[in-house]
Amino acid sequence: MAERWLFRNLKFSLNRGDFLAVTGPSGTGKTSLLRALNGELNSEEGSVRNLAQAILPCGAIFQDLQLANGARAIQNALSGSLGRHSTRDTLFGFPASEKSSAIELLDRLGLADKGEQWTSTLSRGERQRLAIARTLLAGPVLLLADEPVASLDLDWAENVLTLLKEKQSQRNGALVCVLHDLEQVERHATHQLTLSEKEPDGWSFRKV
Amino acid sequence: MSKEEMNSESPQLPWHSRFDLQGITFALFILLGISSLPALEGSGRDLDYWGNLTGFLDQFLPPDFDILPQTLTGIWETIQIAGISTLLATVLSLVLALGAARTLSPSWLVMITRMLLNCIRTIPSLLWAILAVVLVGSNSLAGVIALTFYSSGYLAKFFSEAFESADLQAQKALRSLGASSLQAFQYGLWPNLRPVIWSHCLWMLEYNVRSASIIGYVGAGGIGLHLKLYAESAESWDKFSMVLLCMLVIVTLLDLTGEKVRKSIRDQLEGKKKTD
Repeated sequence: MAERWLFRNLKFSLNRGDFLAVTGPSGTGKTSLLRALNGELNSEEGSVRNLAQAILPCGAIFQDLQLANGARAIQNALSGSLGRHSTRDTLFGFPASEKSSAIELLDRLGLADKGEQWTSTLSRGERQRLAIARTLLAGPVLLLADEPVASLDLDWAENVLTLLKEKQSQRNGALVCVLHDLEQVERHATHQLTLSEKEPDGWSFRKV
Repeated sequence: MSKEEMNSESPQLPWHSRFDLQGITFALFILLGISSLPALEGSGRDLDYWGNLTGFLDQFLPPDFDILPQTLTGIWETIQIAGISTLLATVLSLVLALGAARTLSPSWLVMITRMLLNCIRTIPSLLWAILAVVLVGSNSLAGVIALTFYSSGYLAKFFSEAFESADLQAQKALRSLGASSLQAFQYGLWPNLRPVIWSHCLWMLEYNVRSASIIGYVGAGGIGLHLKLYAESAESWDKFSMVLLCMLVIVTLLDLTGEKVRKSIRDQLEGKKKTD
């Protein structure tokens, strides 16, 4: 595969409470941008390098969900809270307070009766919402989500975007979402970053 | 190319083209069968085969139910041998499997461990039992030693394959959400490994109950010793058949339970049929 620039000279700033929607055709580097922000990829040049990870607690939801399929759904949700507890504290389970917030989140995401099920038995849409619950329980200041509503129907997509916004504004954090539906962008986002197919520096950034 | 042309081509395939690897091995197999006919000759003595068989079956059936208590005691000892050696083999195999997994260990260690495991698997359980009896004498400890080594050869291979094919995504995701590496292992990787490991252990337990029944024949404890005594003393084939009957019942029960548990494990890992 030929090497090419996905984007160059990309420069934008987000404040706490902002909701940035990343849009653009496939192959333009939307997922790579999220991974760079999450500290998984190093950028070739410039100072973007792991900036977000270094300053803010980051949490990401990727399209492959990355759930433990052999565990019960509630365990996957709870495992988002691991960063707040020591290895010894979680050796035999989670604190009751985490359990009640996990149950509350699953309830909001329509998974109230699925908590005790094996994760592998959930549908794609249910697992998508479970991955969202896990990341929300981690409570990152900067929440990165790669098409978090891709396998959800319109009602659930609305619910999930509303929930993501609500939780991020509660903790005074920012939200970066890859979205495809431009109506969703107009309704929810505060800023839009559009990556270009042809030009690495043909990106555009605007206030919605 | 037209259809006629193709038809006219096919008979002209060179005569040796049908002798590919499969054809050659099949021909060799038939030749081996024909050349082995002398093995059917028997001792050459003029024996009444049918009379021998009916005479044997007369003694064999019905089974002698009077020996049920001591038979059950013997089978219980066999199950104990199988249980403790499966447990020991599991612990040993988890360590060995770390060395045999390509994703976890350097290639020289993988090669050495795999070669060791291959050697262990090459030696049949009966030979392990003879070795162990020579070592610790004729008792059930010999059986435990024999089966522990024998089943480690298999379990470590299975476990290392499970380690290699394990889904590492969740572990990675938890690390990036701030979990420690131990937490990420416990909640991200172990849930995917545990059912596979447990399923292999159950299979090995079933297998070991069967192996443990026969290794008693060479003195390594358990029901095999009873079989040997009854087979060697005159007029006790009805006791022999009683032991076989009990073993059949126990092994079938174990099979059924194991199958049920393994099915629920499959459901856990792969998910039941569902509609998205």
